[in-house]
Amino acid sequence: MNNDLTVFSRIPMRTWRWLGVNEARVAGPIPEKQENESLLVEAGKTEEYILTRRAGAQQNVDIRIEDGAKLHLVNIQLVPTDETATSRVKVTVGKDAEFRYTVVEAGASQAMSELDVNLAGNDSKADIWGLYFSDGSRKVDLNYTIRQAGRRTDANMQVRGAMLDTSEKIFRGTLDFIEGAKGSVGRENEEVILLSPGVRNRSVPIMLSHEDDVDGHHAVSVGRMDEDKLFYLMSRGLDLPNAQRLIVEASFNPVLDRIPDEALKQEVDEYLQGRLANHE
Amino acid sequence: MDKKEQEAFAHKEELRQEFKKKTYIEDIERTIYDVKDADNSIYKTQEGLTEEVVRDISARKHDPQWMLDFRLKSLAIYNSMALPTWGPSLDDLDMDNIITYVQPNAKMTGNWKEVPEDIKNTFDRLGIPEAEQKESLAGVGAQYDSEVVYHSIQESLVKQGVVYTDMETAIRDYEDIVKEYFMTLVPPKDHKFAALHGAVWSGGSFVYVPAGVHVKIPLQSYFRLNAAGAGQFEHTLIIVEPGASLHFIEGCSAPKYNVTNLHAGCVELFVKEGARLRYSTIENWSRNMMNLNTKRALVEKDGIIEWVSGSFGSHVSCLYPCSILHGENAKCEFTGVTFAAKGQDLDTGASVIMTAPHTSANINTRTISKDGGKATYRSAVKVTRRAPDAKCSVNCESLMLDNKSRSDTLPVMDIEGDRADIGHEAKIGRISDEAIFYLTSRGIDEDEARAMIVRGFVEPIAKELPLEYAVEMNNLVNIELEGTMG
Repeated sequence: MNNDLTVFSRIPMRTWRWLGVNEARVAGPIPEKQENESLLVEAGKTEEYILTRRAGAQQNVDIRIEDGAKLHLVNIQLVPTDETATSRVKVTVGKDAEFRYTVVEAGASQAMSELDVNLAGNDSKADIWGLYFSDGSRKVDLNYTIRQAGRRTDANMQVRGAMLDTSEKIFRGTLDFIEGAKGSVGRENEEVILLSPGVRNRSVPIMLSHEDDVDGHHAVSVGRMDEDKLFYLMSRGLDLPNAQRLIVEASFNPVLDRIPDEALKQEVDEYLQGRLANHE
Repeated sequence: MDKKEQEAFAHKEELRQEFKKKTYIEDIERTIYDVKDADNSIYKTQEGLTEEVVRDISARKHDPQWMLDFRLKSLAIYNSMALPTWGPSLDDLDMDNIITYVQPNAKMTGNWKEVPEDIKNTFDRLGIPEAEQKESLAGVGAQYDSEVVYHSIQESLVKQGVVYTDMETAIRDYEDIVKEYFMTLVPPKDHKFAALHGAVWSGGSFVYVPAGVHVKIPLQSYFRLNAAGAGQFEHTLIIVEPGASLHFIEGCSAPKYNVTNLHAGCVELFVKEGARLRYSTIENWSRNMMNLNTKRALVEKDGIIEWVSGSFGSHVSCLYPCSILHGENAKCEFTGVTFAAKGQDLDTGASVIMTAPHTSANINTRTISKDGGKATYRSAVKVTRRAPDAKCSVNCESLMLDNKSRSDTLPVMDIEGDRADIGHEAKIGRISDEAIFYLTSRGIDEDEARAMIVRGFVEPIAKELPLEYAVEMNNLVNIELEGTMG
């Protein structure tokens, strides 16, 4: 792990420097406050764990999921918009084990997040659903990697986002098929809705493969609101902001629905709705 | 799993192992491309890169003063720049051992009969003059080592004001145009090898198509590097004036030596308002070549650039044709195929920069890697705030023929504003057992079935090529696959 204050995270394979995506850099100091978690899910056990961040801090989570175990980790970030929040989540997944991850990056002036999942065991699984929301002049910088090392591993990375005002975001998602990961499948998908002319969105879907017996797919779609959908909703009597809100909500729902705690889900939902409404 | 399922699974696994056993076989010889001719060059610069070498090249080429100044300025930039921090390893490249200028024993001529026998034979073997005689090409240029040895163009095109000549002649006869455009799109500061090119460039083609003229039959330049340990730095400058159109084909090859050869060419394409340019390349350098080529197009309003790019040869390639869609409604179509076999590290892709409203781009690539080859797809799509309603769709598929090989995709999208519509899709995988099983159950033998699938995989690219090249590409695919399947 690097202790460099400016560079928080790096992509596994570099590209042209002018694109500015090789490193995730933190402007200003990384918050001193640390929230460290170390989780061990013992063989055969099924666990659920919820982390909620409401103040700027650096989060470090280390997880080991033993053979046959299952973990659903929920990580909700609702940090005030003038504080920096960083997060580093490192997960090792054993044989027949499963890692489910539901992550929401909704607040903070800078939301920096690194996720590193190692599907080490045969038949291990990762099911990642992420949501980000950026408005004002906020910055969201995500770097997610799933290494598929075991045989017949299954990785699914689904990310949804909406961007407003003059916010900026970089999402890097890597599927890395290691030699010997025979029979593995990996899917990665990012959908971004752009809502203001001032936004800047960067998407870097990386796929690395050292094994032929795999099936990897990635897709990104970046764009304005689907005009047909808007037209339909508005023809039903909704005004533009409400129609837009409904479309964003529909795109967020698959992620929000995974939050097991009803009250928390309600809170996140209201937080996002409030911010979307502010924009109008 | 019940017993039946287990049996079926075991059978499938058995079949799979059987397929895999056949994968590891040495490459076969690359026949015609590998024929070496005696090195009959009349002059070579000393190895390495110094101011004396640059001055020497410039003096031999009778450069005007501004070009000598340009070369020296580029050399200074080259010396001040670091090697790129990304991409394939360039460790095998030692500039101190590269001969930057090799003058063949031939004068530029417009008459094929005057080309010296040994050089003529080389191009004959590659089928270059044949295509011209059959009138499937409207003009042909042939470069041997550092100099163009042959250039011709149909009389009817000359009458319409089309210029197709070597760069040296262009500097002499069309100095104003060359001076206006030369290395403005790819400035020497762009990267270290662009600076190198600026310092030691030699040869290449100049094409000028006047407004409204449609060149219906393609023009073609063929680049052959024969001398061992040499570099080829040809410069291609094409200007297609408003409303005009052109199809330009570029072919490259070299025999294999045990020392590293370097190709650092530069292609600058200017597509003016409403003009259309198709630029096709089949690159089949030998496996000791470092191919660090830079290609860029500037497209004005309503203009169209179409790239068709086949990368089969070289030891290391870095090739990412770039399209700058600078005028409203400008379009880019990029179609590419890359085939990386043993000992090859081919880093290819494309970039598109959109700086005007309603611009659109379509990038479609296929990469194949086998036998330890490494294929990387690298791309950038940048939509600036000045380009509302830009549209771009990227589709890249990678096929791996064994697990000794590597296949990576690294696309970046950088979108400003809220009115862009960008889609990207990529796939990595192998030939599925089901597909093979289906075809073999229809009575097609297994090797043929695999070849069929690979040909089907590259079909979207093959169909974009002129016929002769589609045939050549198919042959290349077959040569590579024979190696795979034995």
